[in-house]
Amino acid sequence: MSSPVVAPSRIKSLFGNQQFILLLVLFAMVAFFTWRNPVFFSNAVFGNILADWSPVVLIAVGEFFVIVSGGIDLSVGSTIAISGVVSAFSMRALTANHVGQNMTLFLGLLTCVGIGILVGSINALLITKARIVPFIATLTTMGAGAGMAIVLTGGSQIGDGPAKAISLSVPDFGPLSRPGIVIVFIVAILWVIMGKNRFGRYTYAIGSNSFAARAAGINVNRHLAKVYILSSVLAGLAGFYYYLLLSVGAPTSGQGGELQAIAAVVIGGTALAGGTGKLSGTVLGALILTTVTSGLIMINVAANWKQVVVAILIAVAVLIQEFRSTGGTGSGPIRRLLTRNSK
Amino acid sequence: MTTGKVLYEVKNVSKNYGSVQALTGVSLKLHAGEVIGLVGDNGAGKSTLVKVLSGAHQPSEGVVELDGEERRWDSPHDALVAGVETLYQDSGLAPHLSVSSNVFLGREKFSKGLLGKLGFLAQKDMDRIAHENLEKVGIAVPQSNRSVSQLSGGQRQAVAIGRAVSWASKVIILDEPTNHLGARQAGEVLAVIQQAKKRGLGVIFISHTLPHVLQVTDRIVVLRLGKIVADAPTSTFDAESLLGTITGLIEK
Ligand SMILES: Nc1ncnc2c1ncn2[C@@H]1O[C@H](COP(=O)(O)OP(=O)(O)O)[C@@H](O)[C@H]1O
Ligand SMILES: [Mg+2]
Repeated sequence: MSSPVVAPSRIKSLFGNQQFILLLVLFAMVAFFTWRNPVFFSNAVFGNILADWSPVVLIAVGEFFVIVSGGIDLSVGSTIAISGVVSAFSMRALTANHVGQNMTLFLGLLTCVGIGILVGSINALLITKARIVPFIATLTTMGAGAGMAIVLTGGSQIGDGPAKAISLSVPDFGPLSRPGIVIVFIVAILWVIMGKNRFGRYTYAIGSNSFAARAAGINVNRHLAKVYILSSVLAGLAGFYYYLLLSVGAPTSGQGGELQAIAAVVIGGTALAGGTGKLSGTVLGALILTTVTSGLIMINVAANWKQVVVAILIAVAVLIQEFRSTGGTGSGPIRRLLTRNSK
Repeated sequence: MTTGKVLYEVKNVSKNYGSVQALTGVSLKLHAGEVIGLVGDNGAGKSTLVKVLSGAHQPSEGVVELDGEERRWDSPHDALVAGVETLYQDSGLAPHLSVSSNVFLGREKFSKGLLGKLGFLAQKDMDRIAHENLEKVGIAVPQSNRSVSQLSGGQRQAVAIGRAVSWASKVIILDEPTNHLGARQAGEVLAVIQQAKKRGLGVIFISHTLPHVLQVTDRIVVLRLGKIVADAPTSTFDAESLLGTITGLIEK
């Protein structure tokens, strides 16, 4: 079994390893930004990057489960907004009624989770019962959520919540804040579940061949419902995170979050066609995204260039996927996506 | 030829997809240790009958009985639990998963203790047992932790059949399992069918390759436009009369 491996093939397999490439890209970026602006290489900047990364990795990991299952969730960004806003309203009311700060924060967190469960259940019903394709179903909830967040707040931010919220998001674990630590912990658990648990196995199986999954006795609809609810709950948690960060519920929080999440998943090497992908890639994809954003600001590049850089990263990631999975057989994911009949 | 006992029975089953009448009044008896060949032109209703038998579709009319008991399959899961395994035409495998993950799909083995209760998988055990089970039914596959997408078409089909045969406790239904296979691989599939028969399973074998059907079955059922037009021992057919019955040139 353990035959000696010759060096060239070891290097080749290393470069065939998406995680390795992503780490290289990340180090190259850090080196580049540090070269252009030495201040970049500091605890403060890394702290900022991780503060940006924390909510993005939450929704990206949720999106990862959805995409692996063969779907897409466009509603994660607006779920951040609506959960943050509703929870801000409830925390403002609790604070006005002199409820203790810890209790208020806890109830605010539950509100965010509850909104997540609600949005995820609506997505699940639209997709599994009404049989609406995920793209349209979650586009609907995306529009409804974002619209409601604006209507409820009249476009303004909702503050007057517990005063200690802001103190929670200072980095006191190296560059990470306490909520950041919790998020790392959540992501680690989901990573284990995806790789070692039946929940992950079924997610891959359904995305790979939903007919085979159903034929094997898996309740595909019930599993998909769980996946969409998971995605929305993680978005709700991201909504709470933004509340802690800003001390207000803002209807604009999470704007464009769905694109960030999808970009992180794709950059992380996961095929949009489903059935495959590594969660660790998505985690790195999210880190690369937030590093680019901070880095470009640090070297005084106009913010709009960020979109261009992200687009290039996505294109490169897809090309690498195409190249790796083709391996000379001429059946890469792009071609498969184009020639695919129904699932 | 057969060992007497009726294992699986279809009584007067009809099935329509909207306005398309795919099956009309189909009745069929499968005995333990019997191999039935189900043949018919494209669109005759073979795959539809398979889906009714496997619980993927509910019949519009009529009933199915297993061991003399009327059963209603609400999902393929119900039929699997009852011992009815099906190999569907066009892939019953998840290509991105490994061989063993496919063999154990929906029947995963869990770790011992609390982790297992939480749904954590005993992957090593599954890799090993999948390999053993496939070997037992006469299928040699490469490492069972290889992804199915890396296997050849013949190997994939072998895995799918091996999975069905190793799990089946009563009935196994194979919808065109020798499609796209070379002669040698098809021969292996036929050998697996013979083995399943020896184990006392009832087998329903669907194929367009009439020599295979004539070679491996005990009885042949011919479907035409959703109706059974012939149901007779294989010995009463030859290649020519079978083809004639399928196309309707010969009325039996
Ligand atoms: N899901 C479906 N929806 C509508 N019509 C179908 C469906 N599946 C099969 N049919 C129709 O039912 C008839 C029988 O098809 P099928 O059972 O696939 O036949 P066979 O397997 O013998 O080729 C055909 O006319 C086919 O077009
Ligand atoms: Mg068919």
